[in-house]
Amino acid sequence: MTRFNAPDIRTAVLNMAYHGATVHVGCAFSIVELLAVLYRQHLRIDPANPKWAGRDYLVLSKGHGVMAQYACLNALGWISDDEMARYFQNGTRLKGLADAHVPGVEASTGSLGHGMSVAAGLALAAQLNQTDQICYVLVGDGEINEGPIWEAALFASHFKLDNLVVIVDKNGFQAMGSTDEVMALGNIEDKFRAFGFDATTIDGHDEAAIDAAYAQAKATRNGKPKAIVATTTKGKGVSFMEGDNIWHYTRLTADTHAAALAEVAQTNQGVL
Amino acid sequence: MRAAFSDALVAAAMADPKVVLLTGDHGYALFDAFRKARPAQYINCGVAEQNMVGVAAGLAKAGFRPFVYGLAAFVPIRVLEQIKIDVCYENLPVILIGDGAGLVYSHLGTSHQTTEDIACTRVIPGLSVLSPADRFEMKACMELAFASASPVYLRMGKSDRGDVHASALDLSPHELRSGGLLKVRPGAGRVAMLATGSMVRTALQLCEAGVDAEVWSVPSIKPLSQAQLRAIAARADRLITLEEHSIMGGMGSAVLEALADQVPVRIQRIGSADRFSSSCGTWDYLLQEHQIDLAAVLQKVQAFCQE
Repeated sequence: MTRFNAPDIRTAVLNMAYHGATVHVGCAFSIVELLAVLYRQHLRIDPANPKWAGRDYLVLSKGHGVMAQYACLNALGWISDDEMARYFQNGTRLKGLADAHVPGVEASTGSLGHGMSVAAGLALAAQLNQTDQICYVLVGDGEINEGPIWEAALFASHFKLDNLVVIVDKNGFQAMGSTDEVMALGNIEDKFRAFGFDATTIDGHDEAAIDAAYAQAKATRNGKPKAIVATTTKGKGVSFMEGDNIWHYTRLTADTHAAALAEVAQTNQGVL
Repeated sequence: MRAAFSDALVAAAMADPKVVLLTGDHGYALFDAFRKARPAQYINCGVAEQNMVGVAAGLAKAGFRPFVYGLAAFVPIRVLEQIKIDVCYENLPVILIGDGAGLVYSHLGTSHQTTEDIACTRVIPGLSVLSPADRFEMKACMELAFASASPVYLRMGKSDRGDVHASALDLSPHELRSGGLLKVRPGAGRVAMLATGSMVRTALQLCEAGVDAEVWSVPSIKPLSQAQLRAIAARADRLITLEEHSIMGGMGSAVLEALADQVPVRIQRIGSADRFSSSCGTWDYLLQEHQIDLAAVLQKVQAFCQE
């Protein structure tokens, strides 16, 4: 198995969500490729030591997508198969939102709008320490309703945090509906550019495009923080989940679990 | 007291290059010495306190020692969730300074007055709450905070009430760390007053006005030495708590909680009532409005002692 293979990550998410009888499947599926490419090709980490001081940082600010990250951390061996199997069970440490007590999770999020500030602090620390560490932070598009996101954007630009890479998961939905219906965001790329970022928009499921965007963001140390607006599909990878916001909330049944696994397996064969 | 704060901050920054001072665009003259001594360790985060606390958490995670300064109305009140989740849940050694706590900003009104900060902070797991009464306590509290491996909220209230201790405190760090109370006046022992911050001076003034009580300063509201409290309560018929804070949830409440199931003792809590200030005025004027000025407190205390 290729590590950080997108269909494998989706399979792991489906199993976690089904056996844990939990939700947020659609939210995890939109960020699968964004995380897979990051872990596979860009994030500098020490597989033997999640707390290695020289690591690149990844802050998952949209903490409700954490199942996709757990799958990656499981692939790294930082979360055991046994823990994955007991996700959401009594007495386990894998909660339904990102929790910094888990190895590889940098910030406790889920209350939205926190992660970008913590990431800015980590990026500033690297700058003060004169290291070449990169700090990635993944935020949801609904999440950028939160004011502190824009406080952090001002801060990152003012302090020239060109080692901060903000990835916006633009899946077009938030809890109660589409982002256009709930709180229209306008052009997110333009907004970040107006705050002093280098900003670009990519297809958030095209791994080659993601790889190129990360590579460019890391290589461009021009005093500007980076924003990658990734256009994604909520529920990506399973036809009956794609673009249907009900998969923010819906639990899998035996039938939908089996049907979803079958679809993902087909994709996997396609890749192979 | 503010000079002691500045001196301690500069000393920490000189001793450790990982010390950084984050301010939400407040503290202009207060930080002159710091900015002169260690400009690279001074970070003005702008008028964006929520982001400031998150940034402090990130810096602390990467090995820095952030002091986060704001008016108490903003740090900790405005940023309580960031303190809880970003800082305290991970037990990061961030020192939060809330300046002007209580009714200090009397003329500016409710937005800048803070009589709920002790209540809000002391219920957050892992967060120590310090409330110095004079320059000597400030120095000790700052040293304790800097030595701490866990988060600290340091409440800086009315700062020009003079010393309550005769000289620098000869404290082992352990005494304050374990929540020790500091005796500032001996008494016959039947009435004990426990005061914090600006109200320690008031407690001493009550004694000068004829109240016979021993007076204890409470620079550490959390932790608070349970053993010492029990010992004081065991000797006294009456305990009186005094604070420039709501009588709900503050130091007085912490004392009640500590003693409720331990020692039968009558306790009177002196603090601001459960309401906002209604008027503009000087600090002294607002103390009168809240009935925590010397005359009002004297009347309450005398009545309580005669019951």
